[in-house]
Amino acid sequence: MIIEHPLLGPRDMAEFVYLGDAALINRPDWQDPDAANKYYEYQYLRDNPAGLHRELWYHEQGDRSWLVVTRDTLTHEITNVELARDVAVEEGRSR
Amino acid sequence: MTQYNRIDGGLIDRSRVLNFSFNGKQMQAHPGDTLASALLANGQKLVGRSFKYHRPRGIFSAGSEEPNAMVQLRSGAYLEPNTKATVVELFEGLSATSQNHRGSLEFDLMAVNDFLAPFLSTGFYYKTFMWPKKFWEKLYEPIIRTSAGLGKLSLQEDPDCYDKGFLHCDLLVIGGGPAGISAALSAGRSGAQVILADEDFIIGGRLNSEVYEIDQMAGSDWVLTAKAELETMDNVRILARTTIYGAYDHGIFGALERCNDHLASTNNKPRQILWRIYSKRSILTAGSTERSIAFGNNDRPGVMLAGSVRTYVNRFGVAPGKQVAIFTNNDDGWRTATDMAAKGVSISAVIDSREIDPRAKISGAGLFLGASVVDTTGRKGIKSITLSNGQTIECDCLAVSGGWNPNVHLSGHQRGRPEWREDIATFVPGKQLPVGMACAGAANGNLTLNSALHDGYDIAGRQMHDLGFEVAKPLTVDAEDESCEITPFWHVKESRKRAWLDLQNDVTVKDIKQSNLEGFRSVEHLKRYTTLGMATDQGKTANILALAIMAECTGKTIPQTGTTIYRPPYTPVPMGAMAGRSRGKDFRPFRLTPSHQWAEQHGAVFVETGNWLRAQWYPRRGETTWRQSVDREVEQTRKSVGICDVTTLGKIDIQGRDAAEFLNKVYVNGFAKLAVGKTRYGLMLREDGIAYDDGTTARLGEHHFVMTTTTANAVLVFRRLEFARQCLWPDLDVHLISITDGWAQYAVAGPNSRGLIRKIADKEYDLSNEAFPFMACKEISICGGTLARLFRISFSGELAYEIAVPTRFGGSLMEILMEAGKEFDVVAYGTEALGVMRIEKGHAAGNELIGQTTALNLGLDRMVSSKKDCIGKVLSQRDALNEEDANRLVGFRPVDRSHQLVAGAHFISKGNQPVMLNDEGWMTSVCFSPTLGHSIGLGFIKRGDQRKGEIVRAVNPIQNSEIEVEIVSPHFVDPEGERLRV
Amino acid sequence: MSEYCLEPASVLDEYKQQFNGAELRELVDVGKVSIAIPLKGEEEVEKVLADHFGIAIPTVGKSVLSEDKMVRVIRLGNDQLFVLLFDQQSDPRSFLANKFGNVAYLTDQSDSWVGLEIRGTKARQALERICMVDLHPEVFLEDHIARTLMEHLGVLIIRNGDDSFVLMSASSSAKSFLHAIITSIRNVV
Repeated sequence: MIIEHPLLGPRDMAEFVYLGDAALINRPDWQDPDAANKYYEYQYLRDNPAGLHRELWYHEQGDRSWLVVTRDTLTHEITNVELARDVAVEEGRSR
Repeated sequence: MTQYNRIDGGLIDRSRVLNFSFNGKQMQAHPGDTLASALLANGQKLVGRSFKYHRPRGIFSAGSEEPNAMVQLRSGAYLEPNTKATVVELFEGLSATSQNHRGSLEFDLMAVNDFLAPFLSTGFYYKTFMWPKKFWEKLYEPIIRTSAGLGKLSLQEDPDCYDKGFLHCDLLVIGGGPAGISAALSAGRSGAQVILADEDFIIGGRLNSEVYEIDQMAGSDWVLTAKAELETMDNVRILARTTIYGAYDHGIFGALERCNDHLASTNNKPRQILWRIYSKRSILTAGSTERSIAFGNNDRPGVMLAGSVRTYVNRFGVAPGKQVAIFTNNDDGWRTATDMAAKGVSISAVIDSREIDPRAKISGAGLFLGASVVDTTGRKGIKSITLSNGQTIECDCLAVSGGWNPNVHLSGHQRGRPEWREDIATFVPGKQLPVGMACAGAANGNLTLNSALHDGYDIAGRQMHDLGFEVAKPLTVDAEDESCEITPFWHVKESRKRAWLDLQNDVTVKDIKQSNLEGFRSVEHLKRYTTLGMATDQGKTANILALAIMAECTGKTIPQTGTTIYRPPYTPVPMGAMAGRSRGKDFRPFRLTPSHQWAEQHGAVFVETGNWLRAQWYPRRGETTWRQSVDREVEQTRKSVGICDVTTLGKIDIQGRDAAEFLNKVYVNGFAKLAVGKTRYGLMLREDGIAYDDGTTARLGEHHFVMTTTTANAVLVFRRLEFARQCLWPDLDVHLISITDGWAQYAVAGPNSRGLIRKIADKEYDLSNEAFPFMACKEISICGGTLARLFRISFSGELAYEIAVPTRFGGSLMEILMEAGKEFDVVAYGTEALGVMRIEKGHAAGNELIGQTTALNLGLDRMVSSKKDCIGKVLSQRDALNEEDANRLVGFRPVDRSHQLVAGAHFISKGNQPVMLNDEGWMTSVCFSPTLGHSIGLGFIKRGDQRKGEIVRAVNPIQNSEIEVEIVSPHFVDPEGERLRV
Repeated sequence: MSEYCLEPASVLDEYKQQFNGAELRELVDVGKVSIAIPLKGEEEVEKVLADHFGIAIPTVGKSVLSEDKMVRVIRLGNDQLFVLLFDQQSDPRSFLANKFGNVAYLTDQSDSWVGLEIRGTKARQALERICMVDLHPEVFLEDHIARTLMEHLGVLIIRNGDDSFVLMSASSSAKSFLHAIITSIRNVV
């Protein structure tokens, strides 16, 4: 596979490490009254879609950026690649 | 026998003679020959035995689709089995042998299988070897193993070397026939980066096998003209002898280039290269493969594909027979007759299954229209054929054409399915193609020359347009579209004798019918039950024929029946090429520590830890067992001072305004209040609450820390920290740099360690216990001004330091430490002594941090700060991980001190049965403690912290042993930690 | 003076070899420093680079060589620069710290990496065997850089001339790295 890195252009999958569902960005608040349940869901319950999937890839042998890659799990077509840091900021993961 | 079948013409160099041997028989041929054409030229009809029935077989085709002519090449360690004689480029001195027979090729003892055929019907294995069960190991398996396989391996290491490589292009042209060449011309003239790959050793495809003309010159000459033009273009790369074997995601292709297979010796250059080709667009111009017709005894040597016969006649100047019959269902078959007749070969008959007007007049040949071949004779070479009208005709070669199948293989590698085209009675590539791929020429169903030339050129032009290149001027070429009418005809129903479909796996028409009767209705099931198409040729000449017959059996149409899924590789790829350079000591890179050279010089025994080579122990003269060396290293370190290279620990430079806050989030314990110049032990959890990694982190400045990780987790921890930094807390100003390789780091441990460090540290630094206490850290200079980092930390439990210098000084520092330490009788110690001392001290390590243990299990639960969040915090508080009788890390010693503990033993209370139900934990680490003089262990046991003094049994069911052990503190040596602080 | 003297050693003993069409040598005495750009601190870093080195901060995947050819600034990532100092600074970190002050975070990497230079008409052909990045002269232009993987090893590749490339990899695996590059050259010359 080739991942179209937002800064570096097309790069071979061999340079990357796969993690999984991009929902892992949304780490719950430890002081939430329902923290135990939220962490249980965060840690163990993931969607496994046949189709578009937002997932985390790490450009370990590249610029060491974490990326959110939107990939069709049926065809491997990649429709979007974002810097995970930008996604995290966008999704409100600020202090 | 000297090239008795050689005729005029062809693309061979008759001015030179090549000597080669087949089964020890010396023969001659010319440059430009394949082994197959050379064998045919020399009249060698019988070349192999079939897989299952050991039927005599001859050369069937002239390309990579060959099912029969499988040979072994070369000898000794260079022996290569299962090579298709039809693709082997002949070289001087080549030696080839036939395979899959016991005794000689002519008198194969295993040919008895042919007479047992009624008992070896399809599904034979599944039906026969089911019972009785105990026969399997002793009887069935040995028999199957000796009969299995075709060729034989040398069982020696492959002496050749292989390589890999990466290529990039705008357009990859797959196949260098007329469509491929014109596609390459089109894209090349546009200025695009083009790779043109062909499996053959000369490009041109069928143009080299036919007598077609282009621009009033011979097709093969036009190829040379086109090739010359392509070779003038810097942007075009022609890869002959290169098979594109797989189409992968996003325009990536796998290719195998056979660089030196055609030479007697590779001269230590890679024999083959496995290329990964990145293409923006690709064009499949892989041509087509002829299929046969099934009739009785259609597998005899001398029965060949009609187009291949033409290849031998036109390209190689070889007539595969002196008296040739042709059996066809299409117009193309007639060309074999006319081409051969033009060369003066006698044609005995042309049999066409269609009721048509004769397509040509062939003098001396009987024409049989609306007829078919029912049977043949001649065990080791065809002698005659019997027609449907009962007539018998003599011939020594039967050329068969059942029509042509586009080579759709690669078009289906991304699960695309080919589509049936009724007008040409064959499958063409479907609409769902690998990304960026288009198909042209015969591969796309355009089976005639003029259409193929234009198709390739125009489609490549469209691809160029897509990529933003200027499209080249239209192709002007003068060529004809030959007739290729066909009326499908699959098998001769009147035949009573076995009619072969898959020649390599010996699958017959009857097998297809039988598997249908037994209920195998899907083609995928049919394939696996009959093994049709599962041999090394993957059924290239057989599959479509079998599908058609299956469709007949089920009453479905061919498109309803469908094809099996096409998967890489298109043709076999040797394991050696897959491995590339990754063999032996080059299997993976090694990482060497700064003291590696010193350790080598001092006879160290090395151990691989990840990619690192570390000194395990340093044997001295007179020491005969590793234990003697390790005991000495431990004793001397505890008594005086020892040196251990700990460079392999992961080291991460952490800087930023929020570095302290970041560490607070990734470690269970607090780091925000760690003073500058101090070091602290830290524990990391996984988010699920399980202990992950540990190490010390030193604060070098307000915004500057250096973290250490375990050797094994260095890369993983770095990855996780980057994840935390970028994805979880993107607003923290914190930056990570791996500096593992930048610093040589040595542990200097033992009561005399301060004395030793004092000798090398520059005088201005006060290293007294007061000025530089336990857990202190500082940037200092040593040996007269060289920068060093000094940490007062201890893994051994002794007064100890770790000293780091830039790596370039690492080798020298080791020597200086050993030199300066002479007065203390300093000792170098390896990873074994390191392990012994950490067990004696009760430190958890890899054996305890196994991804199933919590901070509570490790006795580190009090480190988990309640005042702050950290990764793994919430889930570590789950009830299930905090039960009253949770495992606790404690120490164990044998009640009988002479007993040796065993890691992995499970703990059972006295009086309980040693069964899982009563399991209370397990021993994780054991060693002989030279300090205590007996075996000691660490392990997890339920409520261990409250059971000190209790005697339990350490049970080892694998070796059927058990030892009584006493539960003790894990801190065997200096439990109060006094030695650390002196 | 101390009784003991530390002797520095180059990772590959200053390896240098001429092949038919390619020359390979270890780059010695090159200071290497990582510069982390603080969050929202890029402008100040840009200013230091411009003022002290006359260098415009490169975009990710590119590098800039100073006019006097003594400093190459490489942009590895959004917040990550890598600087090569060719004038053999005894302490490259201090040299840069004087200029950057609190504007960026510096880490001396001189000993973390080994540097090789491969040049010659066969250089690209040799690299084709181990480098998955497209090094076509019109694609991978001079001063372009890429971090990638060669024979399992992380590598920073810099094009520093027509047919010339700098390859940097971890110093602990330098011998395996050199072996891989030599093999690639031998396989094509």
